[in-house]
Amino acid sequence: MIILQALVNGIVSGTLLAVPAIGFTAMFAVLRFPNFSVSGVATLGAFAGYLAYGAGLQMAGSLAAAFAVAGIAGLAFDKVAHLPLIKQGALPAAIASIATGLILENVVRLGFGNEPRGYDRPIARDVFIGDIRVSPQQVETMGLALLLMLLVFTALAFTRIGKAMRASADNPELAALKGIRPERIAMLASFVGMGLVGVGGMLLGLDSSIDPLTGTRILLSLFAAAVLGGLGSVPGAVLGAFLIGMAEELSVLVVGSQYRAAVGFVAILLVLTLRPRGLLGERAY
Amino acid sequence: MTTIRIGRRAALAAGVAALASPAVVRAQADPIKLATLTPLTGAGGPYGPVMAKAAASVVEEVNKAGGVLGRRVVLVSEDDQTNPEAAVRAARKLIDVDKVSAIMGTWASSVTTAVAPLCWESKTFLCTVSGADSITLLPHQGFLIRTQPNSKLQVTRVGEFILSLGAKKAFTMIPQTPFTQSTFDILNQVLPKGGCTHQSLIYDDKKTTYRTEVDQALRTSPDVILANGYTPDTVVLLKDLYRAGFKGKVLGFAYSINQKLVDQVGQPEVVEGVYTFAPSPAEGSSAFEKAKAASGSANPDPYTCQVYDHINLVLMAMANGKAATGEAIKENIRKATVSGGKIVDNAVDGIKEIMAGGKVDYAGASGPCDFDEKGDILDCKFRYDQIKAGKFTLVKIA
Repeated sequence: MIILQALVNGIVSGTLLAVPAIGFTAMFAVLRFPNFSVSGVATLGAFAGYLAYGAGLQMAGSLAAAFAVAGIAGLAFDKVAHLPLIKQGALPAAIASIATGLILENVVRLGFGNEPRGYDRPIARDVFIGDIRVSPQQVETMGLALLLMLLVFTALAFTRIGKAMRASADNPELAALKGIRPERIAMLASFVGMGLVGVGGMLLGLDSSIDPLTGTRILLSLFAAAVLGGLGSVPGAVLGAFLIGMAEELSVLVVGSQYRAAVGFVAILLVLTLRPRGLLGERAY
Repeated sequence: MTTIRIGRRAALAAGVAALASPAVVRAQADPIKLATLTPLTGAGGPYGPVMAKAAASVVEEVNKAGGVLGRRVVLVSEDDQTNPEAAVRAARKLIDVDKVSAIMGTWASSVTTAVAPLCWESKTFLCTVSGADSITLLPHQGFLIRTQPNSKLQVTRVGEFILSLGAKKAFTMIPQTPFTQSTFDILNQVLPKGGCTHQSLIYDDKKTTYRTEVDQALRTSPDVILANGYTPDTVVLLKDLYRAGFKGKVLGFAYSINQKLVDQVGQPEVVEGVYTFAPSPAEGSSAFEKAKAASGSANPDPYTCQVYDHINLVLMAMANGKAATGEAIKENIRKATVSGGKIVDNAVDGIKEIMAGGKVDYAGASGPCDFDEKGDILDCKFRYDQIKAGKFTLVKIA
């Protein structure tokens, strides 16, 4: 029974992890470098949402604020710091993104201090479905995450701009020949990708607390989820997030919670050794 | 003609007197130099200035009453900047230039660890308020005492408190820290003696949820859970314990379960009834009242009370040793708390009693001030609070 409970817990945390993982992998698909500043951007999004929620905005409004602030910050850093370096290869841009992530983290620290903060949401007792314990709030948060994912998939599948993004990710040259402007697609990928990362930071903070290290805490799991599913694959990121979420919770029962970080590393190691393209390959959608 | 016959003994006595007297005369003229090395700036900045002030007030009182060994006491105050490098520079100046016999009040463990070797090598006595267990394990040759309880004393008291709550099954949830294993070991010793079983779990303090960890803990049906983390992870843990419907008692250290945590959780029923504990000054004791006056603070913090004790102990040790050297302080620091001696709460009374040939038992502002051979304090007061309707209410100081 405790295994089943751990799996349910894993699905909940996997759903929350999926949102920023989609953002991360979507950016990789278009921009072709792993943008590690997601740690700082997720923190920024969490604090933007916190301020908006504290100012009286409802959940949807706060999520929109987290999305917008994180998206704009991500876009600005891509323009100023990451993309100018991409011509030298993915590595310099990736290293620059580690630096910008640190800058963002410390900007948040400068503004808000190190103290953890919590969203002023009522904390409810869990409800039991059979023997399985479920938190009503986490179900709500999970619902929000699923709704967002649905929106992203719908946008990618059915809108012109979504199709253009997928085309650009699949083959930039061919897409450019078809009249799709790669810079605009890159900007859009930065904005939407980082927006999702910001929303993910807020969703993760809703039930726990937020501080300048909120994003750094999820960086490894997020990266592992994207690699496991296949870097650049949006459905892969979702699958990877669920698998990592469940593996992390199950690992608590087997090896103890202190080795949680090892789950992410082992997943990355196994994928890179056995199936470097990830479970679903690189297909953007 | 009169012959003056001088015996060998008389000649020897005269010679010794002749040699010794200039030193005595010089000693009477020279003041005794002591120092505080507290964090006036940096992370410890809120504490250091008050600590230094408390020590200076004690010295002033002692000087008014005639000093120690007939000599005036001069207290030099330096800033360690809560930084080991700055502290080493300051300590070098205190030892080499000011030639102090004792340095008191080092706060950060990193500072004390850096300064301690300079002290024992120059035979300067060091009194510290740092908490790291490793400090008293340094090869300090007896030139160091610490008034802050080490983790062994703190966890032992926690175990005793758990037993006093009537626990039969205790569970500890703790992140990986330098004292995680020692916490388990001590509780595994203390709790079974009181008929309480103990199980534990190490969690990752970077996780955003502890649902599975809480499930694991609750499987053992504990009646008391020790939440032994830091504030950010303890917030998440307490929320998850509440969500899981845990009805037993929860307790944790006051440095993590504090008003900030309560504010952040934002919902009083989540933290209702949670116990906290912390080392405490001996509130209500006469020495604590004196430390209040000396520091000019209505509610002096534990470190200020400890420095108040440092300076009193050092001054009485010098009186007991009839010398103002670090070596004399080392040899006599434990003689200021002789059981059966006259109970005193300040150095002025203590020195008077010692000079009259009596023994003293100093009852300090931070506690009894008895030290083991490593320099660790043997006992001190702890403060236990319980959160009621979002406010900390005192359960006891014991």
